[in-house]
Amino acid sequence: MTLQYSATIVEHFRHPRNYGALPAPEVAYEDLNPLCGDRIRMELNVSADQTIAAVRFRGDSCIISRAAASILTELIQGHTLQEVVALPQEVLLTALHTPIRPARLKCALLPLHILQAGIAAYLS
Amino acid sequence: MHEFFQQLEQLRHSNRRVSLATLVNTVGTSPRKEGAKMWVGEGGDILGAVTIGGCVDAYVIEQAEAVLVTQVPRLIELPLGDEDAWELGLSCAGTIEVFIEPLSAAHSQPFDLYTALKSHIDKGNSGALLTCLDGAPTGAKLLLLDNGHTLGSLGDPTLDQEVCKAARSHMAQGLSRTLSFTLPHTTARVFVEVHTPPATLIIVGASHVAMLLVQMARPVGFHTIVIDSRPRFATPERFPATDTLLVGMPSEIVQTLPLSPVTAVILVAHDYKYDLPILRHILSSPVGYIGVLGSRRRGEGLLKFLREDGVPEEALRRIRVPIGLDLGGRSAPEIALAILAEVVSARYGGSNLPLSQQRQDAE
Repeated sequence: MTLQYSATIVEHFRHPRNYGALPAPEVAYEDLNPLCGDRIRMELNVSADQTIAAVRFRGDSCIISRAAASILTELIQGHTLQEVVALPQEVLLTALHTPIRPARLKCALLPLHILQAGIAAYLS
Repeated sequence: MHEFFQQLEQLRHSNRRVSLATLVNTVGTSPRKEGAKMWVGEGGDILGAVTIGGCVDAYVIEQAEAVLVTQVPRLIELPLGDEDAWELGLSCAGTIEVFIEPLSAAHSQPFDLYTALKSHIDKGNSGALLTCLDGAPTGAKLLLLDNGHTLGSLGDPTLDQEVCKAARSHMAQGLSRTLSFTLPHTTARVFVEVHTPPATLIIVGASHVAMLLVQMARPVGFHTIVIDSRPRFATPERFPATDTLLVGMPSEIVQTLPLSPVTAVILVAHDYKYDLPILRHILSSPVGYIGVLGSRRRGEGLLKFLREDGVPEEALRRIRVPIGLDLGGRSAPEIALAILAEVVSARYGGSNLPLSQQRQDAE
């Protein structure tokens, strides 16, 4: 199986960062793409000042989704919840270092949407 | 055996009386294995068989009807002559022994033991019901579970101890047998009726092929579990016959399931996001069959991934990809049939050759 993706995507797929679970997350949110079945759970520890102290993700998802989730966990370290909620999707897409075809945009953005939905649920 | 437990539960809650005939010993060839059962009810109804029908079963039915009247258990020996053997399709003559015992809700002990046994094997464990065939008291029962717990007694503590010791090795092999015991003060023959968890088919991917697989696997005797991440696909409407339908993260779900040598895991999602993490997990388990739907090229890709992850070649050889026997068909039902055929063949160590070819080779 030769992977036709950027080196960044392949690297994060093969060696995902912050993969696993937190023992006592303040934010834990799981969702899926109901058609392809990509399913991801994001977990956060949140400090008193609303900054992200720790993040983990877990999922059965495609290469792009998994790599995007891994990259996302690195992007949001130390940021506040509000900053993550406002994070433009272009930031994540740029960090993938490869153009994402329209048919795979949902894959790339699924982790961000799940994370933002989880934070919104936590803040509400 | 699933049907037997269901019938037993119905009987317990009715006023009916039946005779339960169990094939407990075979010498020479036999069309059925030890443990085969047949009910004969008061109203003349019959369920199951201890041979494959014909005059031998007819005689067992007569004897069972007599037990219904006397309510006294009996052990019958049936020598099968060459003519019986020919009628039953056996290669040579032999002898079978059938134990017939009365069963009704009025005597609750057998029900209690079978209920405890079923509850135990439903959790993925094994157990053996030990029945005294001769010596006193004939028909006494002792339940031995693979965790060492016992329930009931054969009427003699020393005999209980000796039989349990001997039964453990048979339980480990999954074989039902009649064993003989000679103690200083008594002799006894005891039938060790081993029950193992039902063979389980874990199907990952709620696809069209999975729907057909479930339909076919259930009558073959498989307990089926279907797993998918997508609630829209893994629905009771699409899988009315499955025993368990699980929606969530497939790789996590598989880690919660008992994986034993009688478990077959079939990955039909055709999706590496399920295949890779699940294969990594199940390759460290003793599952009896691992199959992945996909082309040879895709299979090689998956194996390459796992190899690069450090999975040893010996483990990789356990993965059957492309999945199924080569039956020549390409439609979804034909693919499901080919998969199930390979699962059954792997379970029994089949040759995958036509039986007719084996006959021709023998000639």
